[in-house]
Amino acid sequence: MKNALWPNLFRGWNRTESETVYTLKQVPVFKDFSKKEFTELEKLVHHRTYASGDFVFKNRAPGEGMYIIMKGTIKITIGTRSGNEQVLAELEEGDFFGELALFDNEPRSANALAVADSELIGFFTADLLSLQDRNPQMTNKILMNLGGMLGERLRNTNHLLFEAQAKLNDETNTAD
Amino acid sequence: MKPTQQTDYFQLIYRLLLGLISAGFLWIIWPYISNVVLILVFAFLFTTVLLSSVDALEKRIRSRGLSVLIVTIGVLAGIGIFIGSFISQLSAQASDFSSRVDPTTLTAEFKNLGERFITALPGFAANMIPSGGDFASTLSGFVETVINNLASLAGAVGNFVLNAAMILIFTIILLAEYHGFRKSLVGYISNKYFEIGLRLIFNIEKSVSSYLRGQFLSAASVALMSVIGLGILNLSGANLTLIVFIGIIAGLANLIPLVGPFVGMVPAILIAFMNNIGNEVALSHLLFGAVPSPFFILDIIVMFIIVQQIEGNLITPTLVGKSVGLHPMIVMIALIIGGTILGPLGMLFAVPATGVLKVIGQEIAFVRRNAHLL
Repeated sequence: MKNALWPNLFRGWNRTESETVYTLKQVPVFKDFSKKEFTELEKLVHHRTYASGDFVFKNRAPGEGMYIIMKGTIKITIGTRSGNEQVLAELEEGDFFGELALFDNEPRSANALAVADSELIGFFTADLLSLQDRNPQMTNKILMNLGGMLGERLRNTNHLLFEAQAKLNDETNTAD
Repeated sequence: MKPTQQTDYFQLIYRLLLGLISAGFLWIIWPYISNVVLILVFAFLFTTVLLSSVDALEKRIRSRGLSVLIVTIGVLAGIGIFIGSFISQLSAQASDFSSRVDPTTLTAEFKNLGERFITALPGFAANMIPSGGDFASTLSGFVETVINNLASLAGAVGNFVLNAAMILIFTIILLAEYHGFRKSLVGYISNKYFEIGLRLIFNIEKSVSSYLRGQFLSAASVALMSVIGLGILNLSGANLTLIVFIGIIAGLANLIPLVGPFVGMVPAILIAFMNNIGNEVALSHLLFGAVPSPFFILDIIVMFIIVQQIEGNLITPTLVGKSVGLHPMIVMIALIIGGTILGPLGMLFAVPATGVLKVIGQEIAFVRRNAHLL
């Protein structure tokens, strides 16, 4: 018979980080977090399970926070499933979406639909505000990271806009 | 009639029946669970009040358990010191009072005060008081009833201590595990209503905590202003003692809207009476040199009215704002309902409970507006 004493006694010694912390570590919003801060964050976030075909949220619905994909696939779309649906992105494990809702009270700007059975981690405005009271350093890191990400996106958008304008000018000159 | 309309009617009747059965069931079991519910409500309210202090301390010392311990010990020590010194000073006051006054003098003073009161009233009001009414014997009868009820009072005190201990235990558990409890609670919400549920809980927390914080700020301001006011009255010879305690009691009584401010005056009036009995100058004191105010009673009432006016019109709107935002009419109706169901406790909880119901109502309206998006 296998002796269960030793494995149980030293069970905690070779404990690896949880799946939640592993997923959270891949998200740039939580960049530069210490091990302790990830443990704190793990206590705060919510685990949600969605069956294939379930909406995580719909376009124009009130938004309360962001989701991180632990398992499964989420499709981000605009329009309705009946006709003029346009797929913006298909997100996989480790990807995240809905982070703008942490900043503003605006409604969702797209649909998020589970295209496979999915497990998501939710992080919401209420959690951020509660964290702000208890651990402002962590909140600062999150906000700085989010700000950095949004700045990068703005730069990319400016670059794309510049390219599109240049292309449009070229086309106009050629036509002349 | 279309089948869908029929289904709608059936659903409506089914829901109504279900609601009625649930209400009936609650009505039957309420006497058995009311005490536990009350303990939980109190624990939740204390948690809401102390949560920000625990969170702020946790921010500094980085330990939730230690923060809860320090805050709990601090609050208990504060309450203990207040009650302890209040009882010791009150007993000193009572023994001083009993050594100064013998029962005959007391009855004569009561009689004298009653007569002066009736003389000071305008004619039509004085006529409304039944002739032959002996103020002194009525008061003596009241005192006798109070003494006879002391045994049941002891039982009530025992019950109170037990409930207070339970509230303390629940408050400590809730404070230590608050964020975990909230997370577990929202875990039961279905995906469809998850974000809206989070929003509802967050808004209720915000509304209750801002109301309670506002109430405690205004209570503190009433306590401070009352102490200052009573000090000023002392300068004009009111001979009031225990003014810090009277101020704190007035501040605490202020937590009950509308009725509380009047309750807060009672200890001050009693102390004024006890300290000035047999003092002819105090008995014939005139407010502003014109209005008869035996034992400075009218001065005290006017002072408390001024304090209430400053608090209600200046301090609360500035410090607290419209924390719950309920119409005064709704506040009065809530107070009457709360008072009928649970007495003074019901009055204490009536306004925050109505505030919570208002938030729930607003969120339900919000969900109905956005139902097609969920």
